[in-house]
Amino acid sequence: MKPARFEYVAPATLDAAVEALAAANGEGKVLAGGQSLLPLLNFRMARPTVLVDLNGIKDLSFIELRGDSVAIGALTRHREIEHSPLIASRLPVMSAAMRHVAHLAIRNRGTIGGSLSHADPAAELPMMAMLYGASLTVQGPGGRRTLMAKDFFVDALTNCLEPEDIVVEIEFPILQHDGWAFEEVARRFGDFALASIAISIRRDKSGIEDARVAVMGVADTPLRLENVEKQLCEIEVDSRMLDRFSELVTSSVTPNSDLHASAEYRKHLLGELAKRAMRTALAAKG
Amino acid sequence: MSKDSSAQPADVLRPRHVGAPIKRTEDPRLLTGSGEYAADRKPDRPLHIAFRRSEQPHARLTRIDTAAAQTAPGVFAVFTAEDIAEDFKPVIPFSRMANYYATPIMPLASGKVRYVGEAIVAVVATSRYLAEDALELIEIEFEPLGTVSRSELAVAQDAPLLHEEAGTNVLIAREFKKGDVEADLKSAAVRVSGRFEMTRKAPLAMEPRSYTAEYDVRRGAITLYTSSNIPGIVRDAISESLGLPGSRLRVVAPDVGGSFGSKGSLYPEELLICIAARKLGRSLKWTADRLEDVSSSSQAFAEIVDAEMGFDENGVAVALQADVLGDVGAYSIYPWTCGLEPVQVVSFLPGPYKIRSYRGAVRGVATCKPPTGPYRGVGRPISTFVAERLMDLGAKALGLDPMEIRRRNLVCAEEFPYRIASGIIWDKTGFVECLDTAGAACGYEQLRVRQAEARSDGRLFGIGIASYAELTGIGSRIAVAPGMPINTGSETAKIFIDSTGAITAAFGVASHGQGLETTLAQIIADDLGANFADIRVIQGDSDAVPMSTGTYASRSAVLGGGAAKHASALLRDKIKRVASHLLEASHDDIEVSGGKAIVIGTDRAVTFRQVAKAVYSDMKTLPVDAREELSASYTYDPINGTTAAATHIAAVEVDPATCFVKIQKYVVAEDCGQIINPMIVDGQVHGGVAQGIGAALFEELVYDEDGQLLSASLVDYVIPSAPEVPDMDVVHIESESAVAGGFRGMGEGGTIGAPAAIANAIADALSPFDIDVNLLPMTPERIFRLIEQAKLKAKEKSE
Repeated sequence: MKPARFEYVAPATLDAAVEALAAANGEGKVLAGGQSLLPLLNFRMARPTVLVDLNGIKDLSFIELRGDSVAIGALTRHREIEHSPLIASRLPVMSAAMRHVAHLAIRNRGTIGGSLSHADPAAELPMMAMLYGASLTVQGPGGRRTLMAKDFFVDALTNCLEPEDIVVEIEFPILQHDGWAFEEVARRFGDFALASIAISIRRDKSGIEDARVAVMGVADTPLRLENVEKQLCEIEVDSRMLDRFSELVTSSVTPNSDLHASAEYRKHLLGELAKRAMRTALAAKG
Repeated sequence: MSKDSSAQPADVLRPRHVGAPIKRTEDPRLLTGSGEYAADRKPDRPLHIAFRRSEQPHARLTRIDTAAAQTAPGVFAVFTAEDIAEDFKPVIPFSRMANYYATPIMPLASGKVRYVGEAIVAVVATSRYLAEDALELIEIEFEPLGTVSRSELAVAQDAPLLHEEAGTNVLIAREFKKGDVEADLKSAAVRVSGRFEMTRKAPLAMEPRSYTAEYDVRRGAITLYTSSNIPGIVRDAISESLGLPGSRLRVVAPDVGGSFGSKGSLYPEELLICIAARKLGRSLKWTADRLEDVSSSSQAFAEIVDAEMGFDENGVAVALQADVLGDVGAYSIYPWTCGLEPVQVVSFLPGPYKIRSYRGAVRGVATCKPPTGPYRGVGRPISTFVAERLMDLGAKALGLDPMEIRRRNLVCAEEFPYRIASGIIWDKTGFVECLDTAGAACGYEQLRVRQAEARSDGRLFGIGIASYAELTGIGSRIAVAPGMPINTGSETAKIFIDSTGAITAAFGVASHGQGLETTLAQIIADDLGANFADIRVIQGDSDAVPMSTGTYASRSAVLGGGAAKHASALLRDKIKRVASHLLEASHDDIEVSGGKAIVIGTDRAVTFRQVAKAVYSDMKTLPVDAREELSASYTYDPINGTTAAATHIAAVEVDPATCFVKIQKYVVAEDCGQIINPMIVDGQVHGGVAQGIGAALFEELVYDEDGQLLSASLVDYVIPSAPEVPDMDVVHIESESAVAGGFRGMGEGGTIGAPAAIANAIADALSPFDIDVNLLPMTPERIFRLIEQAKLKAKEKSE
């Protein structure tokens, strides 16, 4: 289980990295934390001719408040996001989700740019990008451009990037909400999710005024359930609310079956998690 | 008054090592990365092997073209079965069993392949990278012969035959019978039955299989460093196969990172690396990557058991019958044969219970999967699962408490030795004591109260019991594997004191995590009267003793420990004889303790160093005929072996929302006789139970209908990690055993008891739904389906 032969370059600037990637004629790959790419190389499922290592580009790693958003550099490690007070106060759902990202050793090396680019349908950061409606700045030979998360995730392990694009930073709009929850079930703590739901709500006197709902593990990409969000603002917060929400969520997804869980079981789990999450989010208001 | 004041002087002088929680002497090197595993060997300019393995489950090899690979960068040689045909004799896993077909062990697939992952071509290159590059240049044409993906399909009329010469896919068939089962079942007050299954599992040692063959040009000799737990058997088999005498073939198991059975058979790659080393006159290395290890090391379980048990009105089990269908994979294994796992199921099915009549039939059938082989517990995890489920079903039908029904059926203290219906004889062991102790330790009555409270809150809380017995430390009268011609009934200890007074003790047993370096030294320290720190234990080296088989089947403490005791006694006597000259005292007045010979009741003493100097270096102190070499050797054979037993009790809660099982309490009461080191015994129980939790809740090798392994990585093959393993209480019952030292083997018990106890606990938790748990692992997905089906059934009933 050794990778096939490849060239290795470690540019010091982003421009040089984009250049090296462009020179690879579509046969290049970007190395960030290496937590998904290296196993793929060892299995020879990925066979790039050139590996462009971004780890020497220090200005790709940052977390900063930028007006109504938090911007995160693509090379920022999961562990830094997990422990950031700024993330904890401004993007609380993301902060909670980070503890479910794999294991400590992986969080120490894995990066947000890498996780989003890998586009695993059961990974937390792509789901957070969907929940917050994040925008991704990417750089290619033609310069920089901005992509919305909802356009970025195309299919399982597939994004909309061109082979010579590199994700530079991700901007997460801060939600002016007062209740939130993140729920996930995996076989073991740190495994890929069998099902997960994240919600964030702002309540007014009569009910829910604004809502965000995202799910993962139940489709080929993480999903933001905008229909459910709209309906949430119309239903009453009463004793039947949790069940109604659960039904709304499960009827919006058609999960796949795989080795770890059938479609029916995933749907069941998602429905249960939806109830738990809404109970928590509503309780936060007090 | 302290205990010491009443002890005899000799006892006061002699520190007791056996029974003391001494820290493992191997741990400092293993935990600081200073261990030396087979892959750590650094021979002169080694070459590296990579294997091209079959992607086809069952196919004729019509063409293999290695021309391009041979000229690839760094490639030294490429071997197919044809290229090495003249270099070895196939190794045959013989057995005297009737209805058994022995498939030969071949280093590379010859003529056809029979499972995905079977090695077809070996590439030898200057690095593993270049060897793997060259693998891609090999062209192989396969002619598919039809997949046999499951045991039920293997026995179908028109199933493709994996081994045409056998004329059948049934490689082994056997039946045990005692009494009139049919009549006893007919007259039984209650009959319970079910179809039980444990799916295929990987032993999954942390260190994958790894071999380094060091070629000595001067002597034309090979030293094979192998991650094996049977280095002696490997030496003898390769010696025979390659026609290399033991003087030119040494097999060493250095530090080995776990086996759980997966390193307990001779492997094709072990043969191949020796054949290639001799052919090329070079040292070679190969280490399995995780994918190779999971898809080509021997696997476990894969059995379906149709079983029925009958009880009289008092809850006494009177009859038991079972038909076992074992999916043994594509080949028999050496030396244990493909009968090892499935035949043990029927041998041990009656367990620790007095069941009057018994019929157990077993078929082991070939399928397109890697061979099954020894796995910690061999046969008994599933035989215990089946028998203990039947006990609980019987208790339910009779309205008895599960604890009570076991008490009515276990062999009692005054009934030993007891021959169970399958013919196995249990020597005196604390069966009932284990049950009672486990019950007390877990607070059984309170647990039932807690269960009632949980149920009234609508929570799914259950309690499961499993009692079992096993044969350990098996001597020469019993074959470890059915009908196997190799003597596995003895082990040798060779102990000597060198001219510096240091002690070397050599064994053929091969620790791969058991801590034998520590426990064998503890025994020698006591029985020789030596300082623990002065003893060096050598093991797993075919040069160290004339013959050995290794460490497996819970034998090393009993056989290695017994040999150590006897050899120590012989050497101690020699020390006394020398000391009696040096101290001018009678032999009988001398006590050996703490590395000294002492005249009892005086301060006159000589150290081992002084004794050694007098024997070896000093020409005047001793008369010539008193200069006996300070060495002793003893080969110990316990003849029959000894029983070990335990009761496991698990309390679990099933979350109806997620269908996850949480283990709330886990208690083991076990009887391993005289404990040598309680920390090691506890560690063995903890590790075994953790593996048993894997078998009960997580681990499953999934092969699809095309014979492809779907759970081939540790992302998909899910094992319990630390958060999934609960705290457990282990209670010891040290009942006397008749073998030397009173030891009983205990390396396997954890995996035997845990699956059954957890299965019973889940069934108990789900009893409001009237659900049977008859398949392991009980994954959340399976629990979800069972609950859904039960709800549907209840709904249909009410309509």
